[in-house]
Amino acid sequence: MTVKTWMYSVLEAVAAEMRADPAMIWIYELTPPVASNAGMPVINLETEFGRKRVVNTGIDENWMASTVIGAGLAGSRAATYIPYQGAAMPFQVIQNHAGKLRSMTGGKATLPVVFIMEMTGQTPGFAGQHSDYEIDSYYAHIPGVRTVVPSTPYDAKGMMVSALRSPDPVVYLYPAGLRMLSEEVPDEQYEVPLDKAAVRQEGSDLTIVGSGAGMPDVLDAAKRLTDAGMSVEVIDLRVLKEMDTETLVKSVAKTKRLLAVDQSYYTLGPAAEVVARCAENVEGARFRRIAFPDAPPPASPEMFLWMRPNADHIVAAAQKMV
Amino acid sequence: MTSHDEVATPSAAWPQQTRRGFLQISALAGATVALSSRMARANGQIGYWSMDLPDDKLRGMYRTILRIRWHERTMADKMLTDSTYRGYNHFYAGQEAVATGVCAALRNDGPFEQIDLVYSSHRPTGHAIAKGVDLKAMCAENDFRATGLNGGYAAEMHLSDPSVGFIGADGMIGPGPLLAQGSAFAFRARGSDQVSVVFAGDGTYATPHFHSALNNAKLLDLPFIYVLENNLYHQYAHYSYSCPHTDIADAARAYGIESRVVDGQDVFQVYNAMKDAVDRARAGKGPTFIEAKTYRYYNHWGAPGATAGELGAFGYDPLAISSIRPERELRNWMQRDPVDIARATLIDWGVLDAAGADAIEAEVRAEVDAAFAWAAEQPLCAPEDGLKHVFATGTVIPRQLA
Repeated sequence: MTVKTWMYSVLEAVAAEMRADPAMIWIYELTPPVASNAGMPVINLETEFGRKRVVNTGIDENWMASTVIGAGLAGSRAATYIPYQGAAMPFQVIQNHAGKLRSMTGGKATLPVVFIMEMTGQTPGFAGQHSDYEIDSYYAHIPGVRTVVPSTPYDAKGMMVSALRSPDPVVYLYPAGLRMLSEEVPDEQYEVPLDKAAVRQEGSDLTIVGSGAGMPDVLDAAKRLTDAGMSVEVIDLRVLKEMDTETLVKSVAKTKRLLAVDQSYYTLGPAAEVVARCAENVEGARFRRIAFPDAPPPASPEMFLWMRPNADHIVAAAQKMV
Repeated sequence: MTSHDEVATPSAAWPQQTRRGFLQISALAGATVALSSRMARANGQIGYWSMDLPDDKLRGMYRTILRIRWHERTMADKMLTDSTYRGYNHFYAGQEAVATGVCAALRNDGPFEQIDLVYSSHRPTGHAIAKGVDLKAMCAENDFRATGLNGGYAAEMHLSDPSVGFIGADGMIGPGPLLAQGSAFAFRARGSDQVSVVFAGDGTYATPHFHSALNNAKLLDLPFIYVLENNLYHQYAHYSYSCPHTDIADAARAYGIESRVVDGQDVFQVYNAMKDAVDRARAGKGPTFIEAKTYRYYNHWGAPGATAGELGAFGYDPLAISSIRPERELRNWMQRDPVDIARATLIDWGVLDAAGADAIEAEVRAEVDAAFAWAAEQPLCAPEDGLKHVFATGTVIPRQLA
């Protein structure tokens, strides 16, 4: 065990899988598959595995995603890292091919592929195309594609291992704002399941559900609420498809109060799905959700930071419910 | 407009015998300026149209180059020295001659239904200045001010001012050329003689949009001009990573499109090629592809590796993780600086003397300083205004609040 960054933990998982499987492919643009970490060897997929397997492409995310799908259909495991500027560019081929081929071929097509979709760091100032946090909703809607969004370095590595080993296509949402998060992460490969939410804190007054880059603010708010005497249960979704209904329902059946938090837009975001599943299965509970307004993020930090759901917003919402 | 007549008489005698004489002499002497003019003549059909321009227009082009240069330098220095300054840019310094030469051949004043449209990239400030966007309003926008060009919603990557035909910047690589040829489609459909121009980088070659834009523009003979600024790098990668051609124009030619390679450091060469392209488009003869060979003096984004008060970024850029731009390459390109080339040419043509050129530069620097100072005094945005402008009317609900 070593303290590792998120970024290093993910590439450690990829490098080990690529060593074990000489056919495996990695395609990237802009973001070189290089990571360093105190006390650990530098990982550089390109120099270790060569440019036949690891390719830096032009700015063509449709090619990246399509190539990975083609490689998967040919029997090779393949992954591509799509930077946030282009994370919706390959949507069509993931939606219409990756998600549907197994079904459309009566189960004959297998796609052991991973689309790593970088999500913005939600840095203020970069406006509609570079501060947005919306692709969780888009990709989670696709049947046949497992869509996950880890929020800790431990999960980031374990879910990457599981994603690379999965016979199903996986959209692995990668919140760029978390890539320098650090914690103890095992050196060996391990799997974190692709269908389980995580209970980060147990409590009985209120369930707060968040995911991905929203989790640091959720945990911060939960701590402030706990310090103020509220008993808060915190759930990190981790998986958007297939969403872990059981963990959600079990918690809300206990607390009878659900606050679902999205960084994504309000309409049809993950929080909407969380509320719907709990409402269908728990009698007599109260529900609230907060999310980014249904507006493209403006450049001005004054506007953007007011609109982005943060710990203050979560605390205020929780206090109205309990 | 007289442009159709000019197309009909491409061999019209150059009126300025002194300029013509200079070019012949300096071509023999092998001067830098003449090198690029020889390249143009080697292309055969390109007229040296810029020599026909009135002196005030030529001086205006020099002023535009300087306004871009000093905007970029001033902003880079602010990023480097003023920790309270929040603006950023993908700097255009080094490429000034391309934006200036292109926009000098366009219709930039008049009703929206008559002016030519420009689509820009994520490196837009030079294009915006050349098209006629108000410098002060742009500086305020880049500084996230409520009174900025786009009210603080856009910042650098989405600058837009339709009133001068600057449809705007775009943070994405690929869609710009397609959207631009869509405007050209509309011009043709409504019988307008407007043209639509896209500025796009070498990175666009690899996108599917490049090929779709050229194919359809040719099939439909759209009044569309694709200005590809080949500054050798897309983001942090050399363009050889994504394009097998030395000249990307070779690829455009395969779509049956009139294609030219021009010296992007020489504003007059850019203008010459652009004027031909605009005349062709207005005459219904279809699209043109212009590849301008150029270079950016700063790195992909911001001013890492630069020193305040000094032009260009020679130092380390932490974002360029695995692809470092050689310092020698940058220094070589700076030997053929677009400001120097324009100045030397105009002095040799007798349009300017050194004192006149210096005076223009002093005026420009004062104007740029005043624009940044004005911007810094402008009010910040009201947070709740973020709920506006989602639809034509009304505001959306603040869903972050329970």
